[in-house]
Amino acid sequence: MSRAAPILSVDDLQKHFGGVRALAGVTLDVAAGEFHAIIGPNGAGKSTFFNTLTGLLRPDAGRVAFEGHDVTGQAPHALTRRGMARTFQIASVFPDLGARENVQVALLGYQGATWRPWASARRMGETRARELLALVGLDGLSERAAGTLSHGDQKRLELAIALAGRPRLLLLDEPTAGMTAQERLESIRLVHRIAGELGLTVVFTEHDMAVVFSVATRISVLHQGALLAEGPPAAVRADPAVQRVYLGDAAATVGQAV
Amino acid sequence: MSRVAVAAVVAAGLLGAPAVLSDFWVFIAIEVLAFALYAVSFNLLLGFGGMLSFGHAAYFGVGGYAVALLLNRMALPLGVAVVGAPIAAAAVAVVIGYLSVRRTGIYFAMLTFAFQMLLYTVAIKWTGLTGGFDGITGVRPHGVLSDPRLYYFFTLAVVAAALLALYRLVGSPFGYALRALRTNPRRLQYVGVDVRTHRWAAFVIAGAAAGLAGGLFALASGNVFPSWLDWTASATPIVMAVLGGIHAFLGPVIGAAIYVVLEVVISGQTEYWPLVMGCVIVVLVLVLPEGLTGWRALGWRGVRARGVVP
Repeated sequence: MSRAAPILSVDDLQKHFGGVRALAGVTLDVAAGEFHAIIGPNGAGKSTFFNTLTGLLRPDAGRVAFEGHDVTGQAPHALTRRGMARTFQIASVFPDLGARENVQVALLGYQGATWRPWASARRMGETRARELLALVGLDGLSERAAGTLSHGDQKRLELAIALAGRPRLLLLDEPTAGMTAQERLESIRLVHRIAGELGLTVVFTEHDMAVVFSVATRISVLHQGALLAEGPPAAVRADPAVQRVYLGDAAATVGQAV
Repeated sequence: MSRVAVAAVVAAGLLGAPAVLSDFWVFIAIEVLAFALYAVSFNLLLGFGGMLSFGHAAYFGVGGYAVALLLNRMALPLGVAVVGAPIAAAAVAVVIGYLSVRRTGIYFAMLTFAFQMLLYTVAIKWTGLTGGFDGITGVRPHGVLSDPRLYYFFTLAVVAAALLALYRLVGSPFGYALRALRTNPRRLQYVGVDVRTHRWAAFVIAGAAAGLAGGLFALASGNVFPSWLDWTASATPIVMAVLGGIHAFLGPVIGAAIYVVLEVVISGQTEYWPLVMGCVIVVLVLVLPEGLTGWRALGWRGVRARGVVP
């Protein structure tokens, strides 16, 4: 099975917190066009992995390459400008700005326009912002203050914010956290559809196995800060080590059901 | 009344004031203008950028000393002195800001506070330059602007231009980024904005505007003292901004006017004026936590920072 050239290449990534090894040398390639799930039990290192990839944490050792460029230890804003966008487990928006203004600020940021001190920003990117809100299904709520939206809608808004910079790699940290089972599937299918339309590569962490197996084209399993298994969903599901350590009976059930 | 009508009445009042006011009240009017700019510059950091500077008097004071030194010691023209004040204050803010914006919240406040104390010490110890505790006196404009009424118009023009520039700034892409970083700096990083550098730039701009205000006030009062740089002086713009309302661009202007006039009126009645002032402030903050411009709540969208346009 040949995979497309890697858009993201992680080599022996390590991170310690005091004496705790949160990442014990993770090596991983994400190919362009993949819908790549990172799974693992609580404390497996998923969040640390995500935050180290996106510049929120500085790795102690190892290397991260994006589209062939070494980006290890680069600041979040620099990574974002390169074409990596991310969302957060708890939707992260600008609560006192309107939904449309949230996306406008994002557009200004990606374009490097925030140094302009005199021009009026009011209408800048307004049309594009409306398009993006329509894309994520928020067209009716564009003038609402973001902080007054439901959590699910804030997640959609955050997706629109992330998409505003036309990223090539989208990193979603628990995109369905805090939603009902029905909302989760709807939400991940929305992301899946948009990623397909825009030709994005997606890496996401997720707890809900139904969500993972409904969309992932590739799965990596983290356990105790190390990569336990990596491969297509069927192979990961069948891996005895994965079943024993993490998925347990639930995986067997899912495996039989699918 | 429509906003245009309000603006017309305010403009007529500002232009006509010297014709009806006594010399003393013309001086007070100049003080109001200078402190209005000072308070707005402070609120660029607090109300828009979410940064509580506890050392903003440093820039007002540096502006005052810059004018005094350029005009008196170096005998340069008034124009050079007035332009030199914001430049000197900005230069100081570049250094202090670079170090201070590395921290946020109370740590940022403490750093700005500490640097101000440092400048205060320089002002009292470097007697050869600053005159020590005696300050620098005789800071007066020469020529036509030595007439207090003409100096009032000069101050009005300069302050109006500076406020217009700051108003444009707040509604610009930079201003939007500033408001976004107040509530969610992390998200702003992840739309590609270098948050620390934007904070730094806002700090320098606020410092420059405060320096201009300090310079203008020094020329009206005729002197500069180290007390301008004392830590208690940094409370003044905070009180003015909170009094007027930090979420409205013009809130601090109204706060400055009320603060200055109240101080004059009450101190004329009793030597315990700070006590009365304190009571007035407590009552206002309890009754109108959003400041005087907050009394119409969210209806006044056009002027409020949380509205679409600042």
